[in-house]
Amino acid sequence: MSERAAKLIFWVGTLSSLALFLGLTWDTHRSFAALTHADKLDANVVAGKHVFENHNCNDCHTILGFGGYYAPDLTRAYKRLGEDAVRLRLASPEKAFASSYRKMPQQHLTPVEIDRLVDFLRWVGGIDNHDWPPQDSDTRWKASTRRLVGGAAMSPGAALVSQEACLACHALGNAGEHRGPRLEYIATRRDADWIARYLADPQALTPGSTMPKFDNLSEGQRQAIAEFVASLAEGRTP
Amino acid sequence: MNFKSQRVAYPYFVVALLLFALQLVMGLYLAFNYFYTVPQAVVDVFPFSTARAMHTNLLVLWLLLGFMGATYYAIPEETQSELAWPKVAWAQLVLLTGTGVAALVGFLFGWTQGRPLLEIPSALDVLVVIGALMFLANVGVTILKARRFTATQGTLLAGLVFLAVMYLFGMPFYENLAIDWYYWWWVIHLWVEGAWELVTAALMAFMMIQLTGVDRKVVEKWLYVELGLFLFTGLAGTGHHYYWIAAPKYWLWVGGAFSALEPLPIAFMLIDTWRSMKDSKRPQPRLTWVYVIGMAVLHFVGAGLFGFAHTLPQINYYTHGSQVTVSHGHLAFFGAYVLLNLSFFYFAIPRLKGFADGRYDERGGHWGFWLTSSAVVGMSLAMAVAGVLQTYLERVQGQPYIVAQSPMRFWMLIVFLHGLLVLAGALLIIKHLLTLRPAPARSGA
Repeated sequence: MSERAAKLIFWVGTLSSLALFLGLTWDTHRSFAALTHADKLDANVVAGKHVFENHNCNDCHTILGFGGYYAPDLTRAYKRLGEDAVRLRLASPEKAFASSYRKMPQQHLTPVEIDRLVDFLRWVGGIDNHDWPPQDSDTRWKASTRRLVGGAAMSPGAALVSQEACLACHALGNAGEHRGPRLEYIATRRDADWIARYLADPQALTPGSTMPKFDNLSEGQRQAIAEFVASLAEGRTP
Repeated sequence: MNFKSQRVAYPYFVVALLLFALQLVMGLYLAFNYFYTVPQAVVDVFPFSTARAMHTNLLVLWLLLGFMGATYYAIPEETQSELAWPKVAWAQLVLLTGTGVAALVGFLFGWTQGRPLLEIPSALDVLVVIGALMFLANVGVTILKARRFTATQGTLLAGLVFLAVMYLFGMPFYENLAIDWYYWWWVIHLWVEGAWELVTAALMAFMMIQLTGVDRKVVEKWLYVELGLFLFTGLAGTGHHYYWIAAPKYWLWVGGAFSALEPLPIAFMLIDTWRSMKDSKRPQPRLTWVYVIGMAVLHFVGAGLFGFAHTLPQINYYTHGSQVTVSHGHLAFFGAYVLLNLSFFYFAIPRLKGFADGRYDERGGHWGFWLTSSAVVGMSLAMAVAGVLQTYLERVQGQPYIVAQSPMRFWMLIVFLHGLLVLAGALLIIKHLLTLRPAPARSGA
């Protein structure tokens, strides 16, 4: 190969890739407003992003999959956990993760800071990023829940317990966590109807409970979970 | 060493090596956090996030100080003239090291910009920019005064200017998180798969010319081809970070296609380095080649192969932001940039100390290389196992994050144990480099 040919490879390779990259960058900027719902990106969301950065949240958590890998991804945290559970984690991490093997620092956030972080996470949760992450995708893994139920490999209630990540707080067999009561023992004290009502609004039945609301589920789905939980207690005494 | 001002490279190397050791200690603490439950009282004062900010900033700081020292060594040789302002080079080292230390102490007290790898607060960013300008001015003026231009130093200077300009994109506050990450990658990706590759290619070309005595024309001809391939794949390849940030769907095609080609220039560099060694007309210490070839091989495996494994969007959808990324990141940074710096230190320090023909006493040095390199490979494999577990349990099965992490903790213990070996090996290397002695007289020679 001549030196001339080598220089030609350098210039053609570099400039063609640069032109494509800058052209697409320009086009991407035209699309960001629609894809990120920039109309909903108000001063509160921006203030929330400042709080998010000031407390270096991103060096433990990922968001959009970037950052530390030490704590759950926050892209869809608002949708996954619900607002109550997000607030509990922000205000009292030492309680929320009291029995977890991994802790979150108590950062002494002010109530306003918590409000703004919630605004920020709500906005992030709504952006259109091609349905990532898969674990929070309605169309991806909730489809696998439907397949399990359809194939009778699991009862609908068990599938919902898995889908709603109940085991992130409760234990079942040797799986899950110990933040809330063990699922097998709940129905030794309560019946299925009570559990279904409790799922809709835990505070109404047990003021001060740290359990998040599951009012995003339909009544039928809450009943299915309650009946599954009740079935676990058969033959057990409190 | 033919020029007195090249001496300023040595303190850069010393500071870089000390920061390297500190970086590894912080890394061990991070791995420890993964398998051991650190109590709430400790987490409140010194969380994982602070340790991670220190680990990553130390990495960037020492690698850049190493590049700068290497540049101060190479530029006088390339221009055949003394550095324009050796004292400015000293002041720059003091300024950048001081800024780095201030940033690390600041992190302990929560003074941060809060964006991964770019945590240094804006006030200190200004000092970093001043340091970078001092550096570029010093190198630029030296080249202009000497009026002797080579492709190698042109590439080096272009890489360094490119590196400095990209840093600016990481400084502002972006209101929109998607746009924030868009330009965050202009810093991180265009550094490691752009500017730093230019610096690497230039320093490798410089070392090859000096080590082997192969004709400069031949080395620099292949340098053009290598750079063309690096920039062709690397620039548009930035798109592999834009799959899931709320950017248009065409990035899945562009990022996937261009980044799938990214192993090619690295393979090219590996073959080129191997050929140069075979064509070498000058005998060199064996350890020098162990480092240079070790760098080329692990650069290819860590950046090329481990990167390729999860760069296609169909795979990346499930692996993105998991320990798979961590595994790739560690082996790639070690193979490409840690070993490049160490190779250059082994090349330059004997010459700075005026040993005959750049020969040195290799005893002890081989242990450091093999212990560190094999431990980093083992560590990355353990991280990869944890990453595959996470990908399957959390991403495919949909288990809650903390439930999926549970079986990964064993593998993070394995990571920690390998980390201890990495630290031990690195300390051997650092001690060997800082106490380098001339080669023992050959018997019968």
